[in-house]
Amino acid sequence: MATPVIMPRQGQTVESCIITKWHKEVGDRVAVGDLLFSYETDKAAFDEASTVDGVLLARFFEEDDDVPVLTNVCVIGEPGEDISAFAPDGVATAEASDQSEAAEQLTSQVAVEPVAGTAPSEPLESVEQGDGRIRISPRARGLAERAGIDYTAATPSGPMGRIIERDIVDLIAKGPQVAAELQPQVTPGQVQAPAADISVSEGELETAYDVVPLTNIRKRIAEAMFKSLSTTAQLTIHTSFDATEILELRKKLKASQNPAAQAITLTDMVLYAVSRTLINHKSLNAHMVDDKLLVYKHVNLGLAVDTERGLMVPTIFKSDVKSLSQISADAKRLANACRAGAVNPDELQGGTFTVTNLGGLGVEYFTPVLNPPQTGILGVNTIVQRVRQTPEGLSTYPAMGLSLTFDHRAVDGAPAARFLKELKENLESFTTLLALE
Amino acid sequence: MPKSQFVSPDELRKPGFVKFKDIPINQYNKTIEDEKQNFTKEDFLRIFRDMVIIRTFESMILTIKTTGEYKGIEYNYPGPAHLSIGQEAAAVGQAYLLDKDDFIFGSHRSHGEILAKGLSAIEKMSDDELMEIMESYFDGKVLSVVKPHWDEKSGVKQLAIDYLVYGTLAEIFAKDTGFQRGLGGSMHAFFPPFGIYPNNAIVGGSAGIAMGAALYKKVNKKKGIVISNVGDGALGCGPVWEAMNMATMDQLKELWEEGYRGGLPIIFNFMNNAYGMGGQTSGETMGFGILARIGAGLNSDQMHAERVDGYNPLAVIDVMRRKKKLLEENKGPVLLDTITYRYSGHSPSDASTYRTKEEIDKWMEHDSIEAFKRDLIEAGVAVEEEFAEITSAVEDLIFKVVKLVVDDKVSPRMDLNKDPDSIGNVMFSNQKIEKMEDRECEVLIPKEDNPRVQQIARKVRTATENGKPVPKARVFQLRDGLFEAIIDKFYTDPTLIAYGEDNRDWGGAFAVYRGLTESLPYHRFFNAPISEAAIVASAVGYALCGGRVIAELMYCDFLGRAGDEVFNQLAKWQAMSAGILKMPVVLRVSVGSKYGAQHSQDWTSLCTHIPGLKVVFPATPYDAKGLMNSALAGTDPVVFFESQRIYDIGEMFHEGGVPEGYYEVPIGEPDIKRVGKDITILSVGATLYRVLEAADILESKYGLSAEIIDARTLVPFNYEPVIESVKKTGRILLTSDACERGSYLKDMAQTISELAFDYLDAPPVVVGARNWITPAFELEKFFFPQPEWIIDAIHEKILPLKGHVASTNFTPNEQMRRSRLGV
Repeated sequence: MATPVIMPRQGQTVESCIITKWHKEVGDRVAVGDLLFSYETDKAAFDEASTVDGVLLARFFEEDDDVPVLTNVCVIGEPGEDISAFAPDGVATAEASDQSEAAEQLTSQVAVEPVAGTAPSEPLESVEQGDGRIRISPRARGLAERAGIDYTAATPSGPMGRIIERDIVDLIAKGPQVAAELQPQVTPGQVQAPAADISVSEGELETAYDVVPLTNIRKRIAEAMFKSLSTTAQLTIHTSFDATEILELRKKLKASQNPAAQAITLTDMVLYAVSRTLINHKSLNAHMVDDKLLVYKHVNLGLAVDTERGLMVPTIFKSDVKSLSQISADAKRLANACRAGAVNPDELQGGTFTVTNLGGLGVEYFTPVLNPPQTGILGVNTIVQRVRQTPEGLSTYPAMGLSLTFDHRAVDGAPAARFLKELKENLESFTTLLALE
Repeated sequence: MPKSQFVSPDELRKPGFVKFKDIPINQYNKTIEDEKQNFTKEDFLRIFRDMVIIRTFESMILTIKTTGEYKGIEYNYPGPAHLSIGQEAAAVGQAYLLDKDDFIFGSHRSHGEILAKGLSAIEKMSDDELMEIMESYFDGKVLSVVKPHWDEKSGVKQLAIDYLVYGTLAEIFAKDTGFQRGLGGSMHAFFPPFGIYPNNAIVGGSAGIAMGAALYKKVNKKKGIVISNVGDGALGCGPVWEAMNMATMDQLKELWEEGYRGGLPIIFNFMNNAYGMGGQTSGETMGFGILARIGAGLNSDQMHAERVDGYNPLAVIDVMRRKKKLLEENKGPVLLDTITYRYSGHSPSDASTYRTKEEIDKWMEHDSIEAFKRDLIEAGVAVEEEFAEITSAVEDLIFKVVKLVVDDKVSPRMDLNKDPDSIGNVMFSNQKIEKMEDRECEVLIPKEDNPRVQQIARKVRTATENGKPVPKARVFQLRDGLFEAIIDKFYTDPTLIAYGEDNRDWGGAFAVYRGLTESLPYHRFFNAPISEAAIVASAVGYALCGGRVIAELMYCDFLGRAGDEVFNQLAKWQAMSAGILKMPVVLRVSVGSKYGAQHSQDWTSLCTHIPGLKVVFPATPYDAKGLMNSALAGTDPVVFFESQRIYDIGEMFHEGGVPEGYYEVPIGEPDIKRVGKDITILSVGATLYRVLEAADILESKYGLSAEIIDARTLVPFNYEPVIESVKKTGRILLTSDACERGSYLKDMAQTISELAFDYLDAPPVVVGARNWITPAFELEKFFFPQPEWIIDAIHEKILPLKGHVASTNFTPNEQMRRSRLGV
């Protein structure tokens, strides 16, 4: 059976050795005691002699290679023997051991337990100590003198109730009047907790929060949102429309025997109306890239979906040529896929405009954040009852809010408002829109 | 561990016997008549005169010491007076054949040896040579006192004798006009121009130093022999045995190259006066019976040991003639058991309660001076009146010298009011000398052919490359920095030698010397026996003779084994010589870890406490190389601390990594390794890397920015950058791996408190190792400073950190409790 030769560990601190010379070639016959290779640590040079007879079947490292200790360096056996089991996985081995060492260190650091009775020094109750002395560091005293401030007003935060530099810094920051007011209040039990370190703000204190590492999707959302607000000129305009007609339609569809019809929601209708209206407002169905506007010929409608892992925006491609029921089916399929974490990544891109709906959560108005390079995003709000003057007098109607955020770099206010106006009209006479298809 | 020497079980397991040769005891039996062919009348009388000078000199000191006056000259001498009245023949006989190129090293009882050796050297030198020495030594300061009282007709030799006696007594009486400006004193007086080297107040202290001087003579092919004069009591001292053992090591005859092969030119002479202070060596405190016996235990030559009758100057001269020849034939070392006896006590306070009056009287009957005079008169060499004339002239000489020495106007003391830095200025020589001698360096191969040099050339000279750490095997390490500086000096300074335990072949226990063996012959780089005392003592002897040396002690913990040699010898001789001697010694010690209580101690504080040592502790490859270059270019003893934790560390701080060429990092300058504004952390040695971790935590968790200063050197130390930093931050924590109690950091903290008090927002805080034994490696994190200790200490003592929960106890109560318990 073939015998592997390992890189010996020459001392506890040696992690690897460099092979300086090979004395045998693959295929050479090797006798017990024959020099196989020479190697060196950072401290000394050594020779490795064979302890078996046979043929050098394989060399896993060459001269000048840095070989982790206890790794197979070569194999000696008889020709034809299978040596594949001895091949080391090289660098990976070294990295693995490094990591485990690091992990070990981490564990040992975490394992240190606080010693009883050595909690941080508590603030002393009074500036004046029991022996009538005021303890103050020379540095703090010097600072107080230079600032012309009465250091007895300082709240000591140093060891053993000593006033230290930061206490004077705090006192100066509060200003002389405050200090004067504070002074008589310094009585046992009333001194405030020691000031935070000069450079540490309250929010950073360990005890005030749990550390929750960001998920990757959260990190990407964070980047995208920040980039959106920091690189575009977005603003939001609001309107509302009379939702009587779509509510009636929804009622009818719900009563239908056709499951596809039953499934069509108000949002689907808005999506449909948007896809039809956008076609007439090209600058909002576009991407703003550098100094160019890429105006899309079809409407690829992004749909904001709230999932447990965070916001996702799948795309209903060519929604402008899809029927209401097709849009409805797509929207449902995509939303479910996103919530299940099974969405095809190709369907998470390519949107030319986005619709986001917070109406279900009772939001009346909001300012959606653009999804650059898109130039517009429509927020759909809840339905509220509004009053309007009719010839018959005051009457109420269900009003659904729409919030359009657009990039002012690409679109001016009036064209954006015109889009919103046309959308409003389309939604208020939704059946007509469907009929004209 | 040379591979050329085979350790054969067949040989070692063979039965047999160790055979000894007879050791001669007092075998000299010539008469004056026999010796007339070897000595002229003048020679005989000069021997007599020299003995009388010593006797008169010593008697004068005894008189002053016990009566406060000498022939009407009042003087109070409070210092030591270890007199050798009775031992004159041994000193004069030994010195008789020696000249200025032969070096003697003595003991606390060496006034006689100084005078005898000086008189002999004077006799062999020309007038011009003598004038040149006297006029140049301290720019003629000593000469200027004696010269006005010199009768020119008596000749330059007589002036030199006046000079010798005056310089010695002025030194004993601590006068600025003494041979060492009074900084040596009775037990340390010496005068190198006459081959009189340091006399040592530590019993046996001269053995190792003299051995190092012999090493210097051999390695640098210098003329002359070396004598270690210590007492019989010194045989109770380990370092004396270490020195003799190292002097007899086989490699000198077996392994050293042709031209250097052979024994060291040294005589270990024991002035055997039967007492070590009051302890009777033969019969009470030792077991050798006949001192010369021990030579048989040291090597197969039995060290050519011999007992000689030190009460007969001619017997001593005879043995010296034979032994000197042996040394010149490279057959050393030699051991001499010179029988003698002191009439006076160990010192004037000694009432001689340990011996009888009968014993002293009996020896006085044998008095060497009287007996020698009687023999010379009997042999018709001279008549009584001639001896009386000599004695009278000596009396006059001593009287004249005493008058001059006690007169504060002509022989003042060092004026520390006028020049307060007089002693401070000689603590260090502070010179830069590239090479101690200008000649070719003996090496085996060109530097560029050295395999380690070639290996290092392939290394990456920074800790990271393209933002990633360079693997250990490829990174230029701290040990490489040390090596580069050291090998560079080996190719520059021909006198440089290095030795210690496991240096050659092995390359040093921590691989700093790996590759040196290939470049250097044995006589420049060798393995010492496991004899820390002898290693350091010999380095002291080698350096004070004019060579440069790197001695290595492996673990810092072994410093204790060389305690006297480091603290009393290495540290002292520059200042005790008033700047006459230089001490270019780099003493490498390595602070360990992992090996428990006796292999893991940072003893910098022991060294910083002793004046006269420079103490450095680099923590980065750049600093290691630069500081080693500085240490090796200087002329002062540098205790060079290294840490085994970081020999393999790469350069993380210096822009561009470690330069390939020569550069120096000045000794004494701390270095700001990271700039910060809220707190200063001063680190010594390997704690630097734990401080970095602590600083990162302070920054990330508490928003505090730490300024990190690496002390690099402890003695000397420039506080300016530290004070500037503290002015900025108002806070400082100091840390090192030394045990906290008595740590030098406490001294620094105190100094910073004084220098920056008004800028401090809290007292300087020291975080050291616990005052325990160093536990096992697995428990070391409870012993050595850790990053969290630093943060805890800041939190408890300097600046409470909001939200911080301490994991260790740095409260005042705990500090008091530990102190009460002494832990």
